[in-house]
Amino acid sequence: MLRKTGLEYSVPARGGWTIVHVGMLVPEAHEIFVCAAGCLRGVVLSAAEMNLTGRFSTVAIEEHNVTDGDMEELLIEGVSDILERLEKRPPCVLVYTSCIHHFMGTDLDDCFRVLGERFPDVDFVDCYMTPTMRKSTLNPDKMMRKRLYAAIKPLKTDENDVLLCGNCFAVTDSCDIKVLIEKAGKRLLELPNTDNYADYKKLGSAGLIISNLSVAKDAADELAAKLGVKSLQIPFSFGYNEIKDNLVKLAGAVGTEYDTFEADCRKADEALRAAKDVIGDCRIAIDGMITTRPYSLARLLAEHGFNIDIVFSDSVGGEDTDYEWLKKNVPGIRFEKCVSPDMRTYRYEEPVESSDSKLVQVQDNTSDNGSYNTSITSDNGNNKSDIAESFGNKPKILALGQKAAYFTQSSYFVDMVENGPLYGFDGIVRLSEMMTESFLNAKDLKKTLDIKGWGCESCI
Amino acid sequence: MKKIAIYGKGGIGKSTTVSNMAAALAMSGKKVMQIGCDPKADSTSLLRGGIPQGTILDLAREKGDAVTLEEMVTEGFAGVLCVEAGGPKPGTGCAGRGIIIAFDKLAEKGAYDVFKPDVVFYDVLGDVVCGGFTMPMRGGYADSVYVITSGENMAIHAAANIAMAVESFHGRGYAELGGIILNKRNVERENEKVAELADDFKTTVIGEIENSALIAKASEQGKTVVEAFPDSAEAEAYKKLAMKILES
Repeated sequence: MLRKTGLEYSVPARGGWTIVHVGMLVPEAHEIFVCAAGCLRGVVLSAAEMNLTGRFSTVAIEEHNVTDGDMEELLIEGVSDILERLEKRPPCVLVYTSCIHHFMGTDLDDCFRVLGERFPDVDFVDCYMTPTMRKSTLNPDKMMRKRLYAAIKPLKTDENDVLLCGNCFAVTDSCDIKVLIEKAGKRLLELPNTDNYADYKKLGSAGLIISNLSVAKDAADELAAKLGVKSLQIPFSFGYNEIKDNLVKLAGAVGTEYDTFEADCRKADEALRAAKDVIGDCRIAIDGMITTRPYSLARLLAEHGFNIDIVFSDSVGGEDTDYEWLKKNVPGIRFEKCVSPDMRTYRYEEPVESSDSKLVQVQDNTSDNGSYNTSITSDNGNNKSDIAESFGNKPKILALGQKAAYFTQSSYFVDMVENGPLYGFDGIVRLSEMMTESFLNAKDLKKTLDIKGWGCESCI
Repeated sequence: MKKIAIYGKGGIGKSTTVSNMAAALAMSGKKVMQIGCDPKADSTSLLRGGIPQGTILDLAREKGDAVTLEEMVTEGFAGVLCVEAGGPKPGTGCAGRGIIIAFDKLAEKGAYDVFKPDVVFYDVLGDVVCGGFTMPMRGGYADSVYVITSGENMAIHAAANIAMAVESFHGRGYAELGGIILNKRNVERENEKVAELADDFKTTVIGEIENSALIAKASEQGKTVVEAFPDSAEAEAYKKLAMKILES
């Protein structure tokens, strides 16, 4: 039994990925949800919004199925019927069972056995949509990351293949991980980079599994055990020394050396400085949606002189050191939990001014797009580059993440989820660039936050 | 490890029979686990000498994942490992779901790997009224199902129902029907009727337990007859039945 957590608020920032989005990472796979119609409603909209209804089907459970005792038959025949009707047989089917299956002890093992015998050319993967219960210690996100790799079978190991496991977004070509692996003469494999199912299956040749997200650790360990290779965690961080330690570990595992620490630090420092020159003392709000390490990010930016105002995150979760550092070294920093029911009526308020006031004075001067083009003079008299301001005379706030943007109602925000394609020092450089770009260019807040699944196609 | 599920009409003598068999096998040196799959949680009462046994469901409700195997399993007479699944209060909730949760919890805690019993008995309540009560039959649990019946018509109907359920799962890798145990009530044509039942389901009457006041007397003492009257013919009958099931 899970500990009761009470009422929770769900922020209307829809960029996070759901089990529908994550499942679609398996190229050519077809998702079939087997559940009550009311539950289907949500997932079918996700698939429709990302223009992938062609890879999505449903089997509706009705009350009589529960009382008639034909849950297994419904699942088997429902999935079979769908596969028979599809124009092209998918190589892989993700079957999402629901709470009622587990409540009733439906023999899913037998269902998949029968389906496997009927359709020997299809890989069936058991997935779960069970919001009312948790059958293991894994939350739905961790479970879904595991299932992503369930259809991969061991191939002849290629020691030159390194698989980055569990991420929804492929890293950039300049990413520290990729650069290091290629320096070692090896190849980085990533599921988001597979174009077809055949390529997906080739991931089974990986000679080393790496992961950088805590949500992906179980997936990485399970896959490594299946392939008979090593699993290495190189946790995501914005801390220079943490990044270095992880890159040293990775270098050792792939048979090379990480010898560019000083140079990488310089590049990161320069990028942050360049961003700071533009952003100045504008307040910054950070959330736990743009990155899995919000406190680490807040600390990095604070150490480089940025004006960190508020962090929106639901738990400290392993970031105790950075959290404590922030409390000690950033006077006035605020922390808010997004899930708190009070956040439903949250109104961002400017912090009480201190002697370290970062308030900038602005002049109203409406531009064509409705934003304000002004000349900014900071309170120390230096002119800064022209900037657009989001609301009247109030100081602008740069939000890092959709939730931060929502709570601060700022049109100037970096739109990214779960670290995006970033990692390490290169990630810091790119994030700095994104911050600058976001500071200079307003976005349509409502329209952006309305789109489900950041980075996915959307019909909205 | 031999895993045996015992089904039969409510009140037919399942728990008494299972407890006596468990005691007999334990006395012969086997490590035995008896799992009561009944919300009444009284399956192992004759083995525990009055020691209370927390049910898996109650323990899971109170302690969540922190519940330990040691709390769920009590050592009874002759070292028989006693487990009670438990369930909701009478007239409330869903007992079948309770069985499912209890089995999941035992699997989650690795009960079989930790205790490594030679024999596991699943003592399952009354009629198989829903999917939850077939959990003991499933792959990974019982290898064989034995149905206890008397010659009374209602008991035979219940036995037939259970046998049909076992038959319907043929091909799923579930437990097969191992046989019928006749727990005599001395009704007319008892032996013939039960033999017919066994024939209908292409199985055999693997053993008979005579209707005996001594068994009831031992129960009154809160004991199995194997414990209370170890040299009795009744105790010998249970030992013989248990060995026959083990060897079949």
